[in-house]
Amino acid sequence: MSALSRHRALTAIWGSPRGWRGTVSSVNHSDIGRRFILAAFAFFAIGGVLAMLIRAQLATPGSAFVGPEIYNQLFTMHGSIMMFLFAIPMFEGLALYLLPKMLGSRDMAFPRLSAYGWWCYVFGGSILIAALALGVAPDSGWFMYTPLSSKAYTPGINADVWLLGITFVEISAVSAAIEITVSILRLRAPGMRLDRMPLLAWYLLVTALMMVVAFPPLILGSILLEVERAFGWPFFDPLRGGSPLLWQHLFWLFGHPEVYIIFLPAAGVVSTVLPVMARTRILGYGWIVAALLALAFLSFGLWVHHMFTTGIPHMALGFFSAASALVAVPTALQIFAWIGTLWKGRPELKLPMLYLLGFFVIFVLGGLTGVMLAMVPFDWQAHDTHFVVAHLHYVLVGGFVFPMLAGAYYWLPHFTGRARIPLLGEAAFWLILIGFNLTFFLMHLTGLLGMPRRIYTYPSDMGWTWLNLLSSVGSFIMAFGFAMFAVDVALQIFLSRRARRNPWGAHTLEWAMPLPAPAYNFASQPRVADGEPLAADPDLPLRLARGEGYLAEIRHGWRETMAVDVTTGAVDHVIILPGNTRLPIITALATGCFFLALLFGFYWLAPLPLVAVTVLGWRWAWTLGWREEIGPVPIGAGETALTHREAAGAPGWWGSVFLLVADGTLLGSLLFGYAFLWVVAPNWPPPELIAAGLPQGAVAALAALAGTVLTRLAASAGVAGNNAASSRWASLAVGAQAVVIAALLWLGLAELPAPTGHAYAASSWAMIAYGVLHAFIALLCAAFIRARIASGHIRKGRVLETSVAQLFGDYAGLATWLILACVLAPLVLA
Amino acid sequence: MMLLARASAGLIFWAFGFSVLYGLHGIGCAYGWPSTEVGGGNLFRWVMVASWLLLCAGGAALIWLAKAAPSGLERRLSLTSAVVGCAATFVTGLPVAVTSACV
Repeated sequence: MSALSRHRALTAIWGSPRGWRGTVSSVNHSDIGRRFILAAFAFFAIGGVLAMLIRAQLATPGSAFVGPEIYNQLFTMHGSIMMFLFAIPMFEGLALYLLPKMLGSRDMAFPRLSAYGWWCYVFGGSILIAALALGVAPDSGWFMYTPLSSKAYTPGINADVWLLGITFVEISAVSAAIEITVSILRLRAPGMRLDRMPLLAWYLLVTALMMVVAFPPLILGSILLEVERAFGWPFFDPLRGGSPLLWQHLFWLFGHPEVYIIFLPAAGVVSTVLPVMARTRILGYGWIVAALLALAFLSFGLWVHHMFTTGIPHMALGFFSAASALVAVPTALQIFAWIGTLWKGRPELKLPMLYLLGFFVIFVLGGLTGVMLAMVPFDWQAHDTHFVVAHLHYVLVGGFVFPMLAGAYYWLPHFTGRARIPLLGEAAFWLILIGFNLTFFLMHLTGLLGMPRRIYTYPSDMGWTWLNLLSSVGSFIMAFGFAMFAVDVALQIFLSRRARRNPWGAHTLEWAMPLPAPAYNFASQPRVADGEPLAADPDLPLRLARGEGYLAEIRHGWRETMAVDVTTGAVDHVIILPGNTRLPIITALATGCFFLALLFGFYWLAPLPLVAVTVLGWRWAWTLGWREEIGPVPIGAGETALTHREAAGAPGWWGSVFLLVADGTLLGSLLFGYAFLWVVAPNWPPPELIAAGLPQGAVAALAALAGTVLTRLAASAGVAGNNAASSRWASLAVGAQAVVIAALLWLGLAELPAPTGHAYAASSWAMIAYGVLHAFIALLCAAFIRARIASGHIRKGRVLETSVAQLFGDYAGLATWLILACVLAPLVLA
Repeated sequence: MMLLARASAGLIFWAFGFSVLYGLHGIGCAYGWPSTEVGGGNLFRWVMVASWLLLCAGGAALIWLAKAAPSGLERRLSLTSAVVGCAATFVTGLPVAVTSACV
């Protein structure tokens, strides 16, 4: 087959239909990645306009430009948009677009999940923007502290918009995290060992793993606060045993790692672009990987430094202050590695390099003020002043926006297939750099002069006037810079000349393909023998186009890509990915209906979209797989491999593992909240504790154990080809999970106090609800196994579906036991 | 996956130790351990310092174990993780010896 015929055939398989049909059904990673990036930039523009309005208001003392109500919405939405609708989705888009290309793969592990995440993001973001346009946007600050965000002080739907809209968007973040993790671990080119991976993949892997455990505490906090607002369960109300500090803990358990979740992908861009600009290899590959692992872990020990002024005892402050200072060490190690790389190489001052130099200056300054704020006595002085605003912008704009702009200019030829128009980008850079520093450097001074955050106006005799005016002027200069960047990109897309292949002379695999990238990425997948494949083999792109790599043969219209061993990169199996479908958008719409029903208070209606999501989820899983026996298939180079349905450790299993890690973190956060309230909250012990319930607890525990064992028996019988036994065990597992649900509900209804009376009862009920939900999911998994055996999809040697059902069965059993231990503990200890 | 597990072991140990110290601090303050006199000091300080020293010893043991990792990137990451974990346990736990207990 000629290269051109292969290109046409592969495009027909991997491409998307033209027009709106393609828009709603495409699951291709390049399409979804591009959409994320464009939408994130659009949200960035909206957030930027809000920043302009904030600066217009603060430019002069006593300004009547906007009142306090609108101003509260402006700064809340500015922060929320930039954090949740710009930074995270922008990196997700970059990861979705680039990762398969850098890893030598044809797509991500779960294309439909990417598309579902995209639609959740765009629908959730639209809810927030619509609320802004209608004047009912969130107005309690981007961290939504209680009691300000509680029903008593925010009686309208403003806070609900944040809690529900952001949670909706977070579905996309968790989806992307699982998708990125599994794709990096399994979907690489054969031969790409972990120590041969591009550094960006390491950064994205660590970031994605951080997201898997960082987002659940916030999701839990949002659920609890929404339940408090909607039904009066007093998790955060100190009069009824709740604690506003619980919200702060849950929020910052997410919120501080979030800073590093935003920074690390951008640091990955620096580690990728900088060596190319310096025309050398990165210095200290292994040390950088070690540093980012250290950074990832340490970043989870800093959250309380956002709460230094809440009256926490000195010893606890000391723990977090020490950790906050310590985290500067791995960050500095990366900075030194980058400086060393520049020193070793022959740097060229091209536009991406300009942005990297800007990044160095700004981020280092932000890091230093971060170390200042990590010291408790200084933090007590500067807390909630504009000094903190200046610090966080130096870190986030310096640590994310500047590297991403470097990355944008570096990879734009890849997206557009076109070269840049000279000089406009340089002008934009200088406007952004000068405008940024004028805005935020001066803000350190206004902060040190005592100007608090989130005030809509100030008197003229405070000495802040000229600093604020200059800050506002600077912000408008910066806005002109960003507008010029947008114009530059538009000109490149629509007017510029075509770019040559690999215009930077880079050595990573994303440049081993025609520009713009075809839908299938590689006509055949490479075998990688070096960390910089194009340096080791400059003719690789040509040979791949000629079909001299893996999976050059086209069969059955399948979307095929290779899966490899996690560590060694040895060939493991062939993954057959699902094609274009409207299931993701339909499922996202149903999910959106659920959130809208809650937002508008139609609680009676909310179960309907939930049922729809369940049915669609079933359909989602059902449409995969096939009844026929396939066996090993040729993959090229005289080798054969099994397809993923017949091989152990398929992406579906890995994805389920990481989903359960996220789920387990949510349960852990709930148990932490329960323990925290017992130990710290006022008005404990509660007036009424659980007085009985051991029989119901025993029934639930035994049924949970039975459900776990029976699902395992069904799984092993199915893999062994004993369909009758497998079907029988699966039916019994369904029954056992139904008993768990009934026993848990019986325990709650018969023995627990009403959840509105005290945070103890509310927490206990929250745990019961968690257990019931997971028993129901395990029930569905067992029922699915039974149905798939009946339909002939599960047969001897097919391990994927049974192993996933087993995972969920095991998890449900474990969760039920943990929950029963916590709910019944007061009874047993009494 | 062993590479990732080894590369994270020392840091996971730090996270575990950090959680133990923070949890013990909350429980000790809630149940009045600082006012219980034991062996010339108070129960709270004894428990905190002993836990911290035990954790530091555990971190040191992990460094010794990490030397057995396969050579190359895996050993470097394992050793670095163990050293960072141990050092971080020492530094972040230091306040148990020098700061006031529950105020």
